[in-house]
Amino acid sequence: MTAIAAPTIPVRWQNRRLLPRWTMAWPALAWWTFFFIIPVLWILVYSLGAKPAADVAGPVSLETLSFSNYGEALTGVFFKVFMITMRTAGLGTILAALVGFPVAYALAMHAPERWRSILVFLLILPYWTSFLLRTFAWRIILAPQGTLSDVLHALGFINGRLLILDTNAAVQLGVVYNYLPVMILPIYVALERIDRSLLRASMDLGAGPFRTFIQVTLPLALPGLLGGLLLTFILAAGDYVVPTILGGTKGLMVGNLVATQILASQNLPLGAAMALMLIGLLALIVILAGALLWSARQIFRVTRGAPL
Amino acid sequence: MTPNRKPVELGRLILIGWMIAVFIFLFLPIAVIIIYSFNGGRNLYVWTEWSARWYGAIFDNPRAAGALFVSLQTAVINAFIAVTLGVLAGIALARRKGRWTGPYLALIFIILGIPELVSAIGQMIWLDRIGLFDGIARLSIGHSLFNIAVVALIVRARAEGLGELLEQAAGDLGAPPWRAFKDITLPLIFPAVLAGLLLSFTFSFDDVIISLFVQRPGTSTFPIYILSSMKAGLKGDVAALAVIMLLVSFLGVGLAAVLLSRGSRGKTLGGLVG
Repeated sequence: MTAIAAPTIPVRWQNRRLLPRWTMAWPALAWWTFFFIIPVLWILVYSLGAKPAADVAGPVSLETLSFSNYGEALTGVFFKVFMITMRTAGLGTILAALVGFPVAYALAMHAPERWRSILVFLLILPYWTSFLLRTFAWRIILAPQGTLSDVLHALGFINGRLLILDTNAAVQLGVVYNYLPVMILPIYVALERIDRSLLRASMDLGAGPFRTFIQVTLPLALPGLLGGLLLTFILAAGDYVVPTILGGTKGLMVGNLVATQILASQNLPLGAAMALMLIGLLALIVILAGALLWSARQIFRVTRGAPL
Repeated sequence: MTPNRKPVELGRLILIGWMIAVFIFLFLPIAVIIIYSFNGGRNLYVWTEWSARWYGAIFDNPRAAGALFVSLQTAVINAFIAVTLGVLAGIALARRKGRWTGPYLALIFIILGIPELVSAIGQMIWLDRIGLFDGIARLSIGHSLFNIAVVALIVRARAEGLGELLEQAAGDLGAPPWRAFKDITLPLIFPAVLAGLLLSFTFSFDDVIISLFVQRPGTSTFPIYILSSMKAGLKGDVAALAVIMLLVSFLGVGLAAVLLSRGSRGKTLGGLVG
């Protein structure tokens, strides 16, 4: 490269603005500002309004702004459903990690190289086909008069019929099923990037497979694992389709409640406040997780002398 | 064969077995819905006999056909918006890095990560306030926001993988910016553009939450039609329609994956979950 002396480079080269600076990113930014940022700010405004009187047209009354919707959202049914949602999403996330980690590990460490990209594709494929239909299929599988119910009854696992449809248990299953790929993929990416010579070095220095896993592989996969946990939790906590289809009236989540307030009860301000409380909490969790990862890195740097 | 080789092999077998089991689990509902669409009985949940009669019944349902048409129109318009804006943003992200890239990417990840429900409520409020757009336009706009972000990330990955040398060469040889873009950049990133188009189409075609909030009476999409007929009680024609929908998605995602794997394998695929 140094053989080409700088002065011989034509003027065009130094002045290469094939396209003006970042103007090409403006149209999308304008579109997002007008149809995403402004709308989200409007949710904030509406959440401070009140449900209009019966004789007034329009979805909201903005004459007196107050935080009373947030107060109302914190009491009674919403708070209860909020806690149930956190439990369902939290438990679902943990279960997905327990099921998904070994899959990501097998995919990254043991699957034959030439099969790997096709397996990753197969992992993503269900996620990109209709969420609605995959969830709906679980209604067929779990139906009390369905085949699975008959089989479990014949084998003596259950007395009578399989009755988990339209309960929290079915929602829990649906959440784990739907978000497994979201959990597996980031873990896989982190595991795949690990330099294999580190694992060999650990084994050569006398650590067994178990100790190598705990002290080398797991810390290196931590960012991926945390990414998977966060993504799964956020998506599960904001879910609407799974509880609507599998939960019935007993398996409600925040998503249903918000949608009901807005689409059926016509109480847009209350629904807006609930939705904002949901993303407020999720943002808090993301920030906490970020802080956790950062401090974990600091601790590892101090005790091991090596960055994660 | 060292003595401790055997347990390692066993562990490997268990892991591979677990992986296969989970893959079967992931595809089980899809298989079930395909099989049950051939259930000839009146009650979808109770298997009676093999029959393709529900596939014939699809064409007797004008409401479903209308919803399908709305979905197709929406998916096409949305994909056009997403690709036009997303490709420009993606190229800028790959070629014109600067202080703006960080905040811009942050916005993209917020759009991809925010619960769809929240975005949907905001759009409903705002589109109602503007009151300019008809049903199809509202749906297309609503679906496009997420898809622009997806296209931008895919195109960015592709453009970064290619490097900038050819475009610089075109500039040296006297091509004006627009010609360098049209004759060099666009053909090179074309697989990513096409993949983005297909994914945008598929996402829109499958979407429930945004559609539920921004739709207007009379312009229900196909998934919304399926959702409402589910509440009214299920019959085989819904399952048959569902299978057709699945096939459209498989085709779209499969083609997109083939196109993307011609570029940087794995790296761009990773951008698809989100």
